[in-house]
Amino acid sequence: MTSAAQPVIRVDGVSRWFGSVVAVSEVSFDIMPGITGLLGPNGAGKTTLLRMMTGLAETSMGTITVFGEAVRDNPPLYRRMGVMSEHETVYGFMKGRDFVRMMARLRGVTDLENAVDRAIELVDLADAQHRSMQTYSRGMRQRMRLAATLVHDPDILILDEPLNGADPRQRVHFKHLLQKLAAEGRTIVLSSHILEEVELLADTVLLIVNGKLAASGGFRAIRAALNQRPYHVRVICDTPRELAGAIVKLPSVDAVHVDPDGALVVLSRNVLDLQIELPRLAQSERIRLRRVEPLDDSLESVFGYLVDQ
Amino acid sequence: MGAVYTLTLRQLSGKWRLIIMTVLAAMPVVVALLTLAERGAPTVAEFEIIVFSTMLYGSIAPLVVLAIAAAAFGNEVEDRTLANLTISPVPRWQIALPKLLATITIAAPFIALSAGLTAHIAFLGDERATIAIIVSALVGVAMYASAFVWLGLVSTQAIGVGLLYIVLWEGFFSGFVSGVRLLSIRHYAIAVMHAIDGRRFADAEHLGPAVAITISTLVIGGFLFATVRRLRKMDVP
Repeated sequence: MTSAAQPVIRVDGVSRWFGSVVAVSEVSFDIMPGITGLLGPNGAGKTTLLRMMTGLAETSMGTITVFGEAVRDNPPLYRRMGVMSEHETVYGFMKGRDFVRMMARLRGVTDLENAVDRAIELVDLADAQHRSMQTYSRGMRQRMRLAATLVHDPDILILDEPLNGADPRQRVHFKHLLQKLAAEGRTIVLSSHILEEVELLADTVLLIVNGKLAASGGFRAIRAALNQRPYHVRVICDTPRELAGAIVKLPSVDAVHVDPDGALVVLSRNVLDLQIELPRLAQSERIRLRRVEPLDDSLESVFGYLVDQ
Repeated sequence: MGAVYTLTLRQLSGKWRLIIMTVLAAMPVVVALLTLAERGAPTVAEFEIIVFSTMLYGSIAPLVVLAIAAAAFGNEVEDRTLANLTISPVPRWQIALPKLLATITIAAPFIALSAGLTAHIAFLGDERATIAIIVSALVGVAMYASAFVWLGLVSTQAIGVGLLYIVLWEGFFSGFVSGVRLLSIRHYAIAVMHAIDGRRFADAEHLGPAVAITISTLVIGGFLFATVRRLRKMDVP
């Protein structure tokens, strides 16, 4: 473990490019003990960043240190790290327990069988440990991979999209497991492109968009910023011009216009209130609503808003 | 190292791969039997050149080794499980060496048996000649293995590149251009054989025993070093 003042992982001015494509651009941050979520849309550069943080990939520029040491080509340091990549390929010919045991041997675990028992118990897969991994569901494979990541009791866990394939029960189990590990003083970094996943698991968020660090800090601050962003909502009804005249008076509405196809597009900074006020208004004005849909609820637009702030 | 060695043995022991290797390894034996059964068989020297130099050392041994060695790292690069090894706290040579040893462990019995049987048939049970052929074939296996294990790590087209190398370099150029023989694994193996049994391959150009052993060691060590270096420098998928 590490002292409170020292960052466990320091990413300092890191860039990575592949030919003319810049995957990560001048990113700097420190990671302290606890759970940190690396959030961003697909293709944002999260995996490249994680791969550099684990020493699997070289930086084009900048440095990454873990416990004050350069992480690249530093095998002794890997004893303190547990890494689970996003790729779900496993050795299909192996039984789950054999896989975890092999990873334990590679990491120099001395009390081998007990460590394997403990790791498999942690992910709740004792019943399936003697089955070939080929027969596992996607979620089971992920959990057995997590057991292999935990088997040497690492100080740092770096998990790339760890909840892929997990069902709701497994997500809850995973959340409790990570919270327990973090409470023991470990540093956990996990990536996801799903906002709710990171909200569920992480105390601190690093938001990566287009290879850049768009925002960082506590999840609540980022969530608050998201709630204040303007939403465009498309409303289809029988009498759009009448509704436009009435809806513009609502306090939750900032602007409104009618599309050439007759649909109403409403701009609101308080979409939660709009959800309540719009049906009431339609009822009082006797206007029939046919369809109400958000226009910019994609993750990219959410992240794009934060980048602009 | 044991974990990587055991893992690699399991990975490389696929049924189809073993069947292909068995068929390839049987070919020199069959050809030796057919050649001797025919009337007007070639001279002993010609026989040595055709069956041992060209076929065993120049084609069968490298093909068998290529089929295994290219997959030693190649499969893990392709299915992205190599990271399981490279994020382990073990020096890179402790990943490269067991991979090489596992490759040799699988290829060696096939080639040793093929070389031994072929030599026994061809030289009518001459023990010294048989031992020379087996030992030199095994040295050839080790050299080819170190080269192709490295190739599997640096190229996603290792089989294709390896085949080109075997056909063009070892098969064609080294057979016709004398200077190329100084850079040919096939001829290093022949030199080792000649060092053990000087009566054989009298007509072939060969290197001295000390040079043969030194070069063989350098080839194995050189490619092993290159593999370790590549493991340290590469971006692991």
